[in-house]
Amino acid sequence: MKKAIALAIAVLTTTVVAASAQGSQTAAAKAAAGYSCSKTISIPFITPITGGAGFLGAEQMSWATYAAKTLAPALGLKVKIVGEDTPVEQGATPANAVAQKIIGDSSALAALGPATSGDVAATAKVFYAAHLAHISPSATRTDFTQGPASAREEYPTFFRDVPGDYIQGPTDANYMIKTLHVKKVVIMDFQEPYSLGLAAAVENVLKKAGVSTSRLSAPNTTTDYSAYVTKVPSDADIVFFPTQKPGDAQTFAQQLIEQGKKAKVFGSDGSNDSSQFKQPGSYVSNFAPDITAIPADAQIIAGWKKANPGKSVGSFGPPSYGATQILLHAIKLACNQGHGTATRQAVLRNVKKVSIKNWILGGTFKWSTKSNDPLNAKFYIFQIQSNGSYKLVG
Amino acid sequence: VDTFIQLTIDALTLGSVYALIALGYTLVYGVLKLLNFAHGDVFMVGSFAGFGVFQLLGGANPKVPLWLFLTLVTLAAMAACAGLGVVIERFAYRPLRDAPRIAPLISALGVSFFLSNSMQLLFGAAPKNYDTFDIHNAVLYTSGFDIGNVHMPLLRVITIAAAFVLMVALWFLVNKTRTGKAMRATSFDREAAAMMGIDIDKVIVFTFVLGSALAGAAGVFFALRVPTTVSIGFVAGLKGFTAAVIGGIGSIPGAMAGGLILGFAESYTQGYISTQWSDLFVFSLLIAFMIFRPQGLLGRADIRKV
Repeated sequence: MKKAIALAIAVLTTTVVAASAQGSQTAAAKAAAGYSCSKTISIPFITPITGGAGFLGAEQMSWATYAAKTLAPALGLKVKIVGEDTPVEQGATPANAVAQKIIGDSSALAALGPATSGDVAATAKVFYAAHLAHISPSATRTDFTQGPASAREEYPTFFRDVPGDYIQGPTDANYMIKTLHVKKVVIMDFQEPYSLGLAAAVENVLKKAGVSTSRLSAPNTTTDYSAYVTKVPSDADIVFFPTQKPGDAQTFAQQLIEQGKKAKVFGSDGSNDSSQFKQPGSYVSNFAPDITAIPADAQIIAGWKKANPGKSVGSFGPPSYGATQILLHAIKLACNQGHGTATRQAVLRNVKKVSIKNWILGGTFKWSTKSNDPLNAKFYIFQIQSNGSYKLVG
Repeated sequence: VDTFIQLTIDALTLGSVYALIALGYTLVYGVLKLLNFAHGDVFMVGSFAGFGVFQLLGGANPKVPLWLFLTLVTLAAMAACAGLGVVIERFAYRPLRDAPRIAPLISALGVSFFLSNSMQLLFGAAPKNYDTFDIHNAVLYTSGFDIGNVHMPLLRVITIAAAFVLMVALWFLVNKTRTGKAMRATSFDREAAAMMGIDIDKVIVFTFVLGSALAGAAGVFFALRVPTTVSIGFVAGLKGFTAAVIGGIGSIPGAMAGGLILGFAESYTQGYISTQWSDLFVFSLLIAFMIFRPQGLLGRADIRKV
């Protein structure tokens, strides 16, 4: 009996190892093999389409789809954007499954996303092994692109067209220090990579400036923050709330008022949604300005609105349009170099060669020469007005 | 002291909602010996149904007096969920009534996914906010009364009082009416009850109506304070189930007590121990009860003749 079990384990182990090796070889082979540029190229978009952050994925998908529809034909490409759902409540599991599916698809020459930092951390190795370039329009965790190279060996194929938390953290903290003159700040985190990184970045700057800080940590599935609000000191000036669910920032702001606390909520880019986070007096930061104020974008906005009736322009969509635009140009360059055939490696090599005039977020888009980040990108700070609108204040 | 009072208010609010959900689990288990894992999603549907009626009646600018507005929203959600409960029982559980116990359990999980995905398809993934804060300049939050330095907002008073009224009504119905007697008889011995002339199908349907209606009310009470999404049913369902187990699944007073105990455990853990580990504590409580007192606080021990 024991021999039979041992034999079964040995066979199983050999099968698993062989299957893994076969999988890696298949992925590598697909990366090396060319794909005809005359066929439809798919660009998967790894983003939470459902769940509490579903609004984010829906917005990103609509802009990426619009970009592919309007820009690809002019480049002689046939492209479809394929949404790959990764609900934030389910952690990294869906992203892992999706990544395996993507690298097995020979028509996927590059990808958009993952939208969240947690999913980037979970999938980067898989994409790196498959030489698949992926541009995130919203994952801002610093150490994907900054810091010692030895600590980010799995991220060479990761790019983002928005600035990271290494800019957001100090921008938010400095605004609190220099403009709001805060004395006491409560910092929340939600026990996942995005908020942990950002909370640490803000806390670091505040502490160096001598601001009194305290930390509250909530599971990502929390919906009622009343007990957390109870722990906010009555003399706290700000609660920094780096959530990916804007409705939660609104709930927290309301529960502060309910309990008679004077602190204002300061949300991060993840809470930048004026339809959900609308408590007057609160603050919110974001990597994109309000593009409706950029005259050169008027035509794009009009076209997108026509394709998405009843929807309003948010902050997560435009960088997705931009990321799609970059990938389309990189694919086009790869197709030209391959004389009608493109490989994932070729697309990857060309991503950083792309520069875009009349960038949707204003000015010209260029990559940093030191990292896979945009050059000269910055974060913007808005204050919510009495009518719920976001006013640029910093 | 202020912190204690505030946490107690939180605990009562949270516990009332958990108790209403737990009652649905316990009613169905009592009669059918079925863990209805779709119950959390019925709660979610209730919050959405309430949201629809909330919008129909004017949203943050209600077209009718506030008390009537909130009553209509709650009753509509209860009615919608009661109807849903009937449909679920008829199509997902009744065909499996004589199947091995694992079959309806799997069917329940299927219904859960069906409901959450259908709701998303119909209403989208974006959170739905009742905007109660915007009603009459936040009257539901700013009015109420003070306990020491702590403010007890009207919305919380309404939530706790309404949940209490529903629980008392349920207790009365089960213990003081003929229908309740039929439910208790069916719960005690289904076959014997049938032989005594009780229409078992009607009793079971009525049980689903009651449990689902309570979940609908809980959905509204919950969503009046925080935004609702199609995914809220999962965690709320788990907490309701935990409350039912703590109180003693199958016991109505147990479900009420279990809900409140869970609310207090969660709130005080967050307030006095750690916000980070409150779920760990709550679900450790579930494990502890499963190991040391599986019949719960007020449940009956399952005695088998061997």
